[in-house]
Amino acid sequence: MSVAYQVVGKPMPRTDAQSKVLGQAQYTDDLSLPRMLFVKVLRSPHPHARIRAIKTSAAQKQPGIVAVLTAKDIPGENSMGPIIKDQQILCADLVRYAGDAVALVAGETEQAAEVALERIEVDYEELPFVFDPLKALEPDAPVAHEGGNIGTHMKVRRGDIEAGFGQAAAVVEARFITPRVEHAYIEPEVALVSLDAQGDVSVWSSTQYAHLDREEVARMLALPQSRVRVRQMVTGGGFGGKLNPHAQCYAALVAWKTGRPAKVHYHRDESLIASYKAHPYVIDMKLGADREGRLTAIDARLVGNTGAYLCQGRAVITKSVTHVSGVYYIPNIKADAYAVHTNTVPCGAMRGYGVPQVAFALESLIDELADRLGLEPLELRMRNALDTTLPNATGQIMPASIPVKEMLARAKTSVESLRPLLKETPPGRKRGIGVGCSSRGIGSIRKASRSTAVVSLHPDGSATVACGHVDLGQGSDTMMAQVAAEELGLDVDRVRVITNDTAISPDCESTSASRVTYLSGNAVRFAAAKIKTRVLDLAAREFDCAADEVKMRNGAVAHREQGLSLAALFGKNTMHIITEVAEHLPATTPPDPETGQGKPAGTYNFNVHIALVEVDEGTGKVETLKYLAMGDVGKMLNPMVVEGQMHGGMMMGMGFALSEEVKIDCGVANSTFATYLIPTACDVPRELIVDVIEDAEPTGPFGAKGFSEGSLDPVGATMANAVSNAIGVRVTQLPMTGERIHQLLRRRGEAVLKAVN
Amino acid sequence: MSRPRKIRVTINGRKVEAAVAPNQTLAEFLRCHLSLTGTKEGCDTGDCGACTVLLDGKAVNSCLVLAVETHGGSVTTIEGLSSDGELHPLQQVFIDNGTVQCGFCTPGMILGAKALLDENPNPSEEDIRLGLAGNLCRCTGYVNIVKAVGAAAKVLRGGK
Ligand code: FES
Ligand code: FES
Repeated sequence: MSVAYQVVGKPMPRTDAQSKVLGQAQYTDDLSLPRMLFVKVLRSPHPHARIRAIKTSAAQKQPGIVAVLTAKDIPGENSMGPIIKDQQILCADLVRYAGDAVALVAGETEQAAEVALERIEVDYEELPFVFDPLKALEPDAPVAHEGGNIGTHMKVRRGDIEAGFGQAAAVVEARFITPRVEHAYIEPEVALVSLDAQGDVSVWSSTQYAHLDREEVARMLALPQSRVRVRQMVTGGGFGGKLNPHAQCYAALVAWKTGRPAKVHYHRDESLIASYKAHPYVIDMKLGADREGRLTAIDARLVGNTGAYLCQGRAVITKSVTHVSGVYYIPNIKADAYAVHTNTVPCGAMRGYGVPQVAFALESLIDELADRLGLEPLELRMRNALDTTLPNATGQIMPASIPVKEMLARAKTSVESLRPLLKETPPGRKRGIGVGCSSRGIGSIRKASRSTAVVSLHPDGSATVACGHVDLGQGSDTMMAQVAAEELGLDVDRVRVITNDTAISPDCESTSASRVTYLSGNAVRFAAAKIKTRVLDLAAREFDCAADEVKMRNGAVAHREQGLSLAALFGKNTMHIITEVAEHLPATTPPDPETGQGKPAGTYNFNVHIALVEVDEGTGKVETLKYLAMGDVGKMLNPMVVEGQMHGGMMMGMGFALSEEVKIDCGVANSTFATYLIPTACDVPRELIVDVIEDAEPTGPFGAKGFSEGSLDPVGATMANAVSNAIGVRVTQLPMTGERIHQLLRRRGEAVLKAVN
Repeated sequence: MSRPRKIRVTINGRKVEAAVAPNQTLAEFLRCHLSLTGTKEGCDTGDCGACTVLLDGKAVNSCLVLAVETHGGSVTTIEGLSSDGELHPLQQVFIDNGTVQCGFCTPGMILGAKALLDENPNPSEEDIRLGLAGNLCRCTGYVNIVKAVGAAAKVLRGGK
């Protein structure tokens, strides 16, 4: 059954594309204010140390310096964090990673502030430290965080794994290691803050959650939230990394203390050194299947290195462990996931949120198991794929929009078409094909989350949508405009979406977890629908007909040959605006802390990817010849946006698979784009096909659901399976740099995996 | 600190005279001195290409060029690419092909592409990828950008 929509489902360029190609879009760093100060942050050079004393007088006396601030200058609470507020804004007595912030300098120029920074004297007492999460778990390890190094332990318990492994005809196990990954938004962190005549605080920032900026700044300054207004400026990417408003707090503290506007703008090295990353994991996983190729049991231990602070570690770890069985039904599950503290840069939210790591481990073992059982990898996947009758690791059954089997069937055809290319492998090269799958619960996993939208219809047939989910480049403002336009019968350019101003847009929680389309999309649609109902009722009275006989289109209402402009209809009813509020709160149950069982997501998104790779035997370098990314999105609100998200997620996954790894010496060792390597245009697969599967989500707006992270989720797994297939050795560590693959090639023949049975 | 030096440079077709500090980069000069904030800075170390502008027709990372070095030269920034509200064909294909997400790389990418097409009006896909390898984009995966530059080449050659 397909409904013809006017606006929704049509490809259309983003509403802000023109301002961006013209260079007119205003990012935070494009703003400056008269008398603005430039703020620099002094950061700890030590991974773990006690602060005995900080002497700021020499710095204060430098020319052009207006203020030097430390923890004791903070009037309110000295803590921050996107979820868990265990990091001090400025460290008072202890630094826990090299990069922790200790003091601020505010100068008339950036150069003056930089010079003065070096004049601050901090007397540190160095303390024992630990970088390796497995070492941090040992009994006599240095304590990286008070309360112990285990920040979180989350579990999944289903069935009886002893019995499950007992039924298995084949069991495989291995340890998998994934890298610490940087978001690498091209626009670094930046914030500008000023005070108005009443002493209220205005923040302009590059952020993923304007309302959290407001909350944190208010808490730090001991102000009511109503006295802080945040405007998210055009934001140059976030990918999960702009949820902790450190730059905003630093600028706000300086503005508060000096009464002058203050700007904080990180340079790339500071962004790499100080900002939180995606968790590196060590995963021990064991998987069994019976003779028919039915998965019987999985046993997994996931250790995520959350660094010095928990930040979002608990939620990331929960996401991982609840997704441990991927797109498969596995009756018996035991999984333990830990967020472990070390004296390294904190880890938190990043696109993927703990799913790509587990997908890499699970999908690798699925391939190994298929090999053991003499089955085609896709056949083993098909035999265990989830459908509308089978529960995932949390016990949740999705009643609709779960097209995994259809995707696997399509994958089979694609793999068949790639196979002949294996025969054309040039000398000195090895080719392989790999498949990877993933599933993802949409929205926050540990708690229910709500979106609220305020939609207003104006008499001239234009509409305003206020909703607090910000657009970081993913295109959500455009899609929200489409949703409202569709419901109200307007052209998209008659709808303005305001998501970026805490004084106007209601708090919708963070822009993360692929939740905007599903949650805010619904909220916007519901509010617009309420308006429509009111308008149709008014019109029905005018036309003396039933409301469902009235049509609403292009700012007018009509019934048969009678017509009335909205302006006239509003006028007759002495109305100047019709405003409605609506919200969406999916019925979810968070996972039980002891068993992980619940109904943690309103809907799920599934992805199946296929890669054909070629490995250079001399250098170990991996080249992707063909890549097929299949993604299930419910229904597309805007195919152009969907395609763009799928390309971007897929290439970010390619970095995770092949090149990206934040290294630690004392702090972050590779703090430039010359040493931290994200994919370039040359790394795009020779041929990349995006295949969108549309299977409507009945609870989503016009059948849509979230998908932005999903396109990244299976890439590491897919590429690892393809490379393993090419070189004949199981890859167990990402990224697959040339060096690493070259080493594996040399050690070929040594089986990494050991069969238990 | 050494004294500011006088430079004379043509920016987007207009003659500009200014006194600049000898260590001021072109990127800073454009953004802070001339308020041409369409030029973006993502790294200041020549690694991301966000600050790409055209200097005497060649693409340069303006974070690596000193303002004084442009004396007597001619600079084109993203603000100078469109004329009289008319989008440059590259700008139009960037919109039409869905290449714009966060947009932070976009000005540099478009100017990088312009330099590439000025030099090679009929580039292969490989040429485009190589030509843009110094311009990082974290949002789009480059796929549509490469497509768009190919499309722009056609338009600029007068084809359709
Ligand atoms: S800012 Fe100039 S290359 Fe990155
Ligand atoms: S569009 Fe965001 S970096 Fe390119």
